[in-house]
Amino acid sequence: MFRPDPRTRATWRWGGALAAILVLQSLVLAALFWVTANGNHRRAIEHTLLDDCSFFALTPPAERIEELRERLARDIHRERFLALFDARGQRIAGNVATMPEPPAGGGMSFVAPIAPTSLPGKTSDVARLTLCPLADGTRLLAGMDLDDTEEALRLTWQSLLIGLLPGLFLALGVGLVAGRRAARQVDAVRLLTERIVSGDLDQRLPVPVRPDSFGLLCAHINTMLDRLQMLVAEVRGIGDDIAHQLRTPLTRLRAGLERGLREAEDRAGFEAVIDRGLAEIDGLLGIVAALLRLRELENDARRSRFAPVDLTRLVEDACDLHQPLAEDRGITLLCTCAPVPAVEGDASLLIEAVANLIDNAMKFGPAGGTVSAQLTCDAGVPHITIADAGQGVPLAERSLVTQRFYRGRRDGAGAGLGLALVKAIVDLHGFTLHFAPQGSAVTIRCGPRRPATDSSPPR
Amino acid sequence: MTQILLLEDDPGTADEIQLELAAAGYAVVHRTTLAAAAEVTRAGGIDLLIVDRQLPDGEGLELIAALRAEGFRTPALVLSALGSLDDRVRGLRAGGDDYLPKPFALVELLARVEALLRRPDERRDTRLIVGPLDLDLLEGKASRAGRPLDLLPRELKLLDYLVRRPGRIVTRSMLLQDVWGYTFEPNSNVVDVHMGRLRRKVDGEGEPQLIRNVRGQGYVFDVPA
Repeated sequence: MFRPDPRTRATWRWGGALAAILVLQSLVLAALFWVTANGNHRRAIEHTLLDDCSFFALTPPAERIEELRERLARDIHRERFLALFDARGQRIAGNVATMPEPPAGGGMSFVAPIAPTSLPGKTSDVARLTLCPLADGTRLLAGMDLDDTEEALRLTWQSLLIGLLPGLFLALGVGLVAGRRAARQVDAVRLLTERIVSGDLDQRLPVPVRPDSFGLLCAHINTMLDRLQMLVAEVRGIGDDIAHQLRTPLTRLRAGLERGLREAEDRAGFEAVIDRGLAEIDGLLGIVAALLRLRELENDARRSRFAPVDLTRLVEDACDLHQPLAEDRGITLLCTCAPVPAVEGDASLLIEAVANLIDNAMKFGPAGGTVSAQLTCDAGVPHITIADAGQGVPLAERSLVTQRFYRGRRDGAGAGLGLALVKAIVDLHGFTLHFAPQGSAVTIRCGPRRPATDSSPPR
Repeated sequence: MTQILLLEDDPGTADEIQLELAAAGYAVVHRTTLAAAAEVTRAGGIDLLIVDRQLPDGEGLELIAALRAEGFRTPALVLSALGSLDDRVRGLRAGGDDYLPKPFALVELLARVEALLRRPDERRDTRLIVGPLDLDLLEGKASRAGRPLDLLPRELKLLDYLVRRPGRIVTRSMLLQDVWGYTFEPNSNVVDVHMGRLRRKVDGEGEPQLIRNVRGQGYVFDVPA
């Protein structure tokens, strides 16, 4: 039967598989029963028949006929066959009319049809027989009727078959229910994904209080959706931010060029306009470059280039790089380095992060103050701490300053990408960034992340 | 005349680069496909390759790798809009000699081209005497026409770097990369402040200017005639 809907097909497959398993199990059971029962029964009969043979072999020939009659008379179930035949095969006594021919292969006993003489209304019967030659040339036919055995086997088969029928229906039913339940669960996920594809990321799958494996899968899908939704929101926000951030300088650039075109009168005038324009464009390119670098940093591929970094040299280089600038601005830049173990990282990225922090401290700290860059070692983990004499980032803004384009103060230059870049670099290294609860200290903890509970800076 | 092959498929960018290089006195052969560029290079006479990465018929790095495999040692400068520093490593591994991510300033391009065409004087001299300048790297001292220049070690390194590349543009990122050993673009004008101090020490009152600022992008050390 062709069913186009894969869910229906799955349902029938479940039911069918369960039913097939049940049938197979019944058949195996029946076969086992038949083999075991038949074998036992045959051994019991052969034992009885051999008993008869040896009894009559020991009985004097004159008494055999009398003994035989007596035995038959004692058989009230009429299931025994006993007969004596002479050497030519003529019946001397007993309840079997003719002597059956034993099969060629021989064997202890055989099954053959015989003609009973004492069973009313029956001219033929099937029995297990044995023919024993006796000392005086006569032969004894001993046999056992198989009617009962056959009846027992027939009953067994019947009961197994009858038992199978409700079993089959049960299996089909359970299979259908299980299949339909699975199909329903899959349907829920399918409907959700359809809605996600059409752009609705708010939907979530229901997760039971005590989830089974499917519930756990649903929980995982939900987590994935949370992350996806966050990323999409971030991307949308970034797009808006970039447009907004570029619009202001572009407007300024355009206005400047327009005014220059109108007002500049000589070469020097035009050169001044162009110089201002170039500076503006460099600022724009700087924003674009920083954004590209952020994207690049967030994609972890760069870790392949990590090598051991000597942080002492790195912090000293950063200080050396900023020393003249600090002096020009009347700021004292203090650099103290304790010996620390080397860390795996990218020296250019790490110095960029440190340089950004020093730059921020010099820009936002109080004029004429002190900026300190400290490299310390705490429990074997290097910490780079940059601090100025000011209050640092206000508490309320701390979660915001590492976002793109966030500027705590509008008076300073820059597009608000510095701390976002620092955070991205720190994240890429698996390090953590901490703000001191008091004051302006910002610390890069150059070690693997600890459990998320600890968000305070190390002492 | 020095011949430069420019492989770049964006006409606007190609025009700008051609104009800049022509103004600096280079002959530029411009091609837009890998196949055409390979043909020109194999014909010989090219002194430098400037290769964009994403081209209509493939990846610029493959051209460089192929040429290197054929034994061409022509220096190559790789341009890329991919803007990733990992790309830089791949570019250099493929046989590129320098790597410039887009967007770049034309001065930067020119400086890199000059650096590739004229390998600096890398003799490990410990005493450099150029014009009025006398640098003693072992003693860590420098003087101009007998007047001792009180240079910090870093300033001496900067002056050493410039003096070995006379008449050529040296950009801020080249200085940061070669003197400090880091590749990054600082937010602030830290390098300029270092250079400003060096210039004030080297070029005293009334003396001819030896270190010149180029459009705020880089510096040139002019050997006095």
